Amino acid sequence: MAAQSSRASSSSVSRARAQPGCWLQASTPLIVVALGLILWQLAAVLSRLPAFILPSPEEVAARFVSAVADGSLVGNLLATLEEVLVGLAVGALAAFALGYFLAKSQWVERLIMPYIVASQAVPAVAIAPLLVIWLGPGLLSKFLLCALIVFFPVLVNTMVGMRSVEATLRELMRSLKASRWQTFTRLEIPASSPVLLGGLKIGATLSVIGAVVGEFVGADRGLGFLINLGHEEYDTALVFVGIFTLILLALALYGSVALCERLLLGWKD
Amino acid sequence: MTPRSAVGPVLGALCAGLFLASCGELNRPAPPANPSPRPEATAALTRITLPMGYVPNIQFAPWYVAVDRGYLRQQGIELQFDYKYENDGVALVGAGNLPFAVASGEQILLARAQGLPVVYVLGWFQNYAVAVIAKSQSHITSPADLKGKKIGIPCLCGASYIGLDAMLYSAGLKLGDVHLDTIGYNQVAVLTADRDDAVVGYVNNEPLQLRADGVAVDVLPVADYVQLASNGLVTNETTLRTDPDLVRRMDRAFLQGLSDTLKDPAAAYAISEKYVPGLASEDQSTQMQILQASIRLWTAPRPGWSNPQAWETMQTTLLRMGQLSRPLDLSQAYTNEFIP
Repeated sequence: MAAQSSRASSSSVSRARAQPGCWLQASTPLIVVALGLILWQLAAVLSRLPAFILPSPEEVAARFVSAVADGSLVGNLLATLEEVLVGLAVGALAAFALGYFLAKSQWVERLIMPYIVASQAVPAVAIAPLLVIWLGPGLLSKFLLCALIVFFPVLVNTMVGMRSVEATLRELMRSLKASRWQTFTRLEIPASSPVLLGGLKIGATLSVIGAVVGEFVGADRGLGFLINLGHEEYDTALVFVGIFTLILLALALYGSVALCERLLLGWKD
Repeated sequence: MTPRSAVGPVLGALCAGLFLASCGELNRPAPPANPSPRPEATAALTRITLPMGYVPNIQFAPWYVAVDRGYLRQQGIELQFDYKYENDGVALVGAGNLPFAVASGEQILLARAQGLPVVYVLGWFQNYAVAVIAKSQSHITSPADLKGKKIGIPCLCGASYIGLDAMLYSAGLKLGDVHLDTIGYNQVAVLTADRDDAVVGYVNNEPLQLRADGVAVDVLPVADYVQLASNGLVTNETTLRTDPDLVRRMDRAFLQGLSDTLKDPAAAYAISEKYVPGLASEDQSTQMQILQASIRLWTAPRPGWSNPQAWETMQTTLLRMGQLSRPLDLSQAYTNEFIP
């Protein structure tokens, strides 16, 4: 009883000690952001640069409010979000399918992979005008551009994930007379999902770049269009608003995949 | 993939890359010539980098003539062309990093609305160059015919957008009365493929390209319906205050180049071949038509002079479109002080 009491009291003490550390860990990013905002405000005030060169956080915040109030920010954000989600879904599915196939077939991988790798050297800004010419300036070119950017990280991670499944586990499934579908759904997917979701996290953040590049080249809506508009009208505060909204969008997408990862892979802990 | 199996494709890619790179080097045009300063004159010359707002083009012939015939040098200026995007040029002038830029009138008002102290000091294009272009078979021969039509436009911003709005307004229409299709700078391809009923372009560019391709077109120049402040020379308030003589000299040299170009386009074309990479190998007939069409935009009883009505109309248009939230003091936005 004394030992139990001692263990109970020591665990409650360790819980109490852990709490301040948890708070500090959770609030560190916010502290860093706050410090950054203070430094930015100081730079804007002390440099006395005009707003079209360096708007202050206050001016950017005011522009953010006006962009929300007139509907331009939300409308353009939803347009980019649509492009990102569709591009991400198409790119990830295509990459997953091809990645699985390449993971299973080394000779096909040897045939195709060098060209896939070489294609990554072509910057998105070079492809975007071609896609607009071939597919038009509508959503299709934006979806495809997003999908192309998402494709490679998901493809590579799929291949790595599938090949990381232990041979002994595959042997176990064979000994249990599991069908290919059962092996796929009950072994390969769960076993490779940490790596798969890691690739998806990268793809999700990169897909935002794809959407914006497409919008820069030719679009009448989206955050890239909004940033272009700010540039055209010398409204640097609006450019900042567009950029920060893009950052928040990318963080939200990353966080969503991370949440899925936590929910799906909780059993690993 | 084993290392050995990767050697072939990688070597092939390297060879292809080297081949393409060498082709690129062979085909790369010589950089535009700029007159080399005579050593004894260098110290007296003011070196100016001038953002042109577009790629090297026959439309810049008056500038090339002014440089090539030494008019700028005679005014103590050594000019370096910089084919920077128009907005960036205006922003650099507004920030005080450069003394001059070439830009369209609406850029000055939009910039001044954001606090950039830029001033328009010479009206080069006397007529707004934007036009709506349609295939002749569409029978679009007046702005009123555009109602309900699908119009391709580079973007929902800039001179094309503003010019279209002003033209529609002159016919009692609004942008909402047409269907706008954002097409980037693909007007020729879009119209040729009949993707849109009409496209917005420049009167001295797309129509000539289309006709050269055998496509019969009708052109509705914005300038036929409304006067808007167009391309000119921009400086900043600091330069005006501290060195107005530089502005006067710059204007004078350019106007000499413009005068020579108007009098002898063929000679101006020949000079431009030194400054526009690839111009010598282009279709001379089409390029000369572009120059002639541009000359029609430049011609005026008093070259360089800014029309106050054109500025008023530009401001009214921008206010109506919501691109300006309040009227500006136009007397600070442009000046004819330096025009002889």
